[in-house]
Amino acid sequence: MRDVSQQHLIEQAAGGDATAFARLVEQNYSLIFRVAYKWSANRQDAEDIAQDVCIKLGGAIRGFDGRARFSSWLYRITLNAARDHRRSRQRHDRKTADLGVIAQQSHEPDVLDRIAAAQVWSLVDRLPEKQRDAVLLVYGEALTHGQAGEIIECSEKTVSWHIHEAKKKLKRLANG
Amino acid sequence: MDDKQLRRLKDLEIPQPGARAQRRARDAGLVAFAQAGEKRASRPQGLGGVRRLMTTFLQTSGEWIMEKRVIVGAAAASLLIVPFAATVLLQQPGAPLIGLPAPGEKEAPKLESAPTVKPKAETGERLAAAPKKRDEPAGRIDGQISGGQVAQERKVKAPGNLALDVSREAAPSAVPATPPPAMKSLARRPRSDRAGPVRPAPAQANRDKFEARDANPVKSAVEHPVSTFSIDVDTASYAFVRRMLSQGRLPPKDAVRVEEMINYFGYDYPAPENAETPFRTSVALYPAPWNANTRLLHVGIKGYDIADAKRPPANLVFLIDVSGSMQSADKLPLLKSALRLLVSRLGDEDTISIVTYAGSAGTVLEPTPGTDKRKILAALDRLRSGGSTAGAQGIRQAYSLARAAFKKNGVNRIILASDGDFNVGITDRNELKSYVERQRKDGVSLSVLGFGQGNYNDALMQTLAQNGNGNAAYIDTLREAEKVLVQQSSGTLFTIAKDVKIQIEFNPARVSEYRLIGYETRRLKRADFNNDRVDAGEIGAGHTVTAIYEITPAGSAGGMIDALRYQRPAAAARGAAQSDEYAFLKLRYKLANETKSRLITIPVTEKMARDDIAGISADMRFAASVAAFGQKLRGSPQLADFSYGEIAKLAASSRGKDPFGYRGEFLSLVRLAEALDPAPAKE
Repeated sequence: MRDVSQQHLIEQAAGGDATAFARLVEQNYSLIFRVAYKWSANRQDAEDIAQDVCIKLGGAIRGFDGRARFSSWLYRITLNAARDHRRSRQRHDRKTADLGVIAQQSHEPDVLDRIAAAQVWSLVDRLPEKQRDAVLLVYGEALTHGQAGEIIECSEKTVSWHIHEAKKKLKRLANG
Repeated sequence: MDDKQLRRLKDLEIPQPGARAQRRARDAGLVAFAQAGEKRASRPQGLGGVRRLMTTFLQTSGEWIMEKRVIVGAAAASLLIVPFAATVLLQQPGAPLIGLPAPGEKEAPKLESAPTVKPKAETGERLAAAPKKRDEPAGRIDGQISGGQVAQERKVKAPGNLALDVSREAAPSAVPATPPPAMKSLARRPRSDRAGPVRPAPAQANRDKFEARDANPVKSAVEHPVSTFSIDVDTASYAFVRRMLSQGRLPPKDAVRVEEMINYFGYDYPAPENAETPFRTSVALYPAPWNANTRLLHVGIKGYDIADAKRPPANLVFLIDVSGSMQSADKLPLLKSALRLLVSRLGDEDTISIVTYAGSAGTVLEPTPGTDKRKILAALDRLRSGGSTAGAQGIRQAYSLARAAFKKNGVNRIILASDGDFNVGITDRNELKSYVERQRKDGVSLSVLGFGQGNYNDALMQTLAQNGNGNAAYIDTLREAEKVLVQQSSGTLFTIAKDVKIQIEFNPARVSEYRLIGYETRRLKRADFNNDRVDAGEIGAGHTVTAIYEITPAGSAGGMIDALRYQRPAAAARGAAQSDEYAFLKLRYKLANETKSRLITIPVTEKMARDDIAGISADMRFAASVAAFGQKLRGSPQLADFSYGEIAKLAASSRGKDPFGYRGEFLSLVRLAEALDPAPAKE
């Protein structure tokens, strides 16, 4: 049901319907924000990235190729925006360190769990970009290697290889 | 690192995105959407046309882009309406979206979300002394459409140290312990790395927005005998002024709030004897240093210092995150300032130790008695952020120091200060948990101070407290830091009086004109004084607050306002006016836990007057010199004939003990300002 209406919205938006576009953005904002947050671990950055994504969507939705999966496309735009954001930030030497020690939505708040998650995140954050994207998509977003491949535009095998390399590297990072 | 650990990534808590950020993002998207549509419409078919043209422009004419940026900047205001128009339309579901204004063809998509509160910016690594709060300044996006997507956005981010004080707008009485989520994050400002001219260039003035307030006018005591305002213990302006001056620039006039400069310093007014009277008021009347014909009415308030009176000895071990991200002004520098404040309150029974982690790990300060301030301050000065190596033994080291200096009947506490990097040295969470709990049973508790921009620290604080692992606090202002640190080292309540208001009625028979120096943003209506629902400032234990009026005695030559021909001082006939009272001072306050206000009244009599400024205490003279400096920086006409050199002389003569060098620093700022001021110095 939701997919149908989403599909409908996409088509309307691609046809130039601003109301449909606004709805589409509203429907997807939480996903965009979530992914942006996972890639930045910083609320403010995530909001910035999400805004960038919305702007890109606004510019590009008319050209959206209906054959591709919208969610993958959205993921890709968000990952790219997160990467651009990260690069522009690095110039300013502002490390993303507002780690996800977030407790707002938790049903069973356990700070230590979050600290653990944050610690893993901070290690993953030090991986090379491709490996990091792969790990965050597969483990953070619970996607399959195939789905992750669709997003980062590589084969399933390549994703698996990135994950494998990432684990090796993480082991070194954790012990170093 | 195995799958199990990696799957923890799923547990990363995602905060709720801010509703405002979401709206702004959507509106930005809509603008881009409308723009893309326009581009498309103006093209005969498919790709090509305008888009390609634009690309060519971008590639061939860098200069053109530059120019356009400038134009875009200037046009920002008119484009402000775009997002809001969209918002209004979209807030009614089902309403057709019509008339979405599209920016002109030539302009890049551009959106500027207007600040909802007039923020006062505060930058600076030393800023720290500043109560500050984030709010949202203009977020800005420049985008150019090309090649099927918005190819380029340029977002200029605020440096991490940007902070805005909205406390007076939002809650004049107090900085809330934790800002409401809507007021947080989002601090986005163009960053300017360019070296500035002597006076801030427009770009910089734009970056740091200050509420423009005219100085309080000179008032006639006949026409307006009553003056009412709220006290203010903010000090943000001083930190900002200091930063600007040390960067070689005169601060913009509106950044200078004289009362905040005066109140930055503590003064040794006599303290109240017991907590029943939460503060004591000292009043003096003396010749204005800058005008032979006027006098200053100086009101000094000193809060009762609970903390000093009965406080168990404290054994504090600070475990400080010194990773690179801690370097922004609202993190490590803020913590350092807070610690300096704390140190000033430590006694010989207290000890303090410092361990760092996540950057250069190790013991920076072995347990040191609170009286060895020199050693402690030196250790604080050595604290630097940088590096990103995970510290190994941070937390164990902290606990072992805590045990080494254990106080049987005192407060034994590890205070972990971080902006979110909790790589304290124990990676296994169960191990960490049981370790902390074990230590707690042995009498050493753990507190967490969160620094930085996100508001998750607040949530972390709540959770930590619930879990019983210790206390935690989110630190975004020095006042907050001081409050928390003092509380944690003493367990006493910090605020001793709240909603403190001052009302002065001048006696027109003795005073012809008056002018309140500073407190422009703290003015209250006359009727607000007795209205207990009207918020005002609070006083903490040991705090001092100073307010200064410049008055023109009746019959003096210094008057600015001509006497009225037909009016006679109405009160002249009444008895009180015949007395020697200059004014009648009323103070209203509430005790920290009460809702009904209490009243203190003090007649300002000849007894309080001194004919020579040398007759008052050095601290009062020093306050007068700060008042002079602040006004001078604001370009007050009253100070036109009083040089920086004279201010420095007055300050130097009243410097007093100055144990922490604050007043010495003030002196050097005065000299800096003198060197920077383009106006020829008058000697």
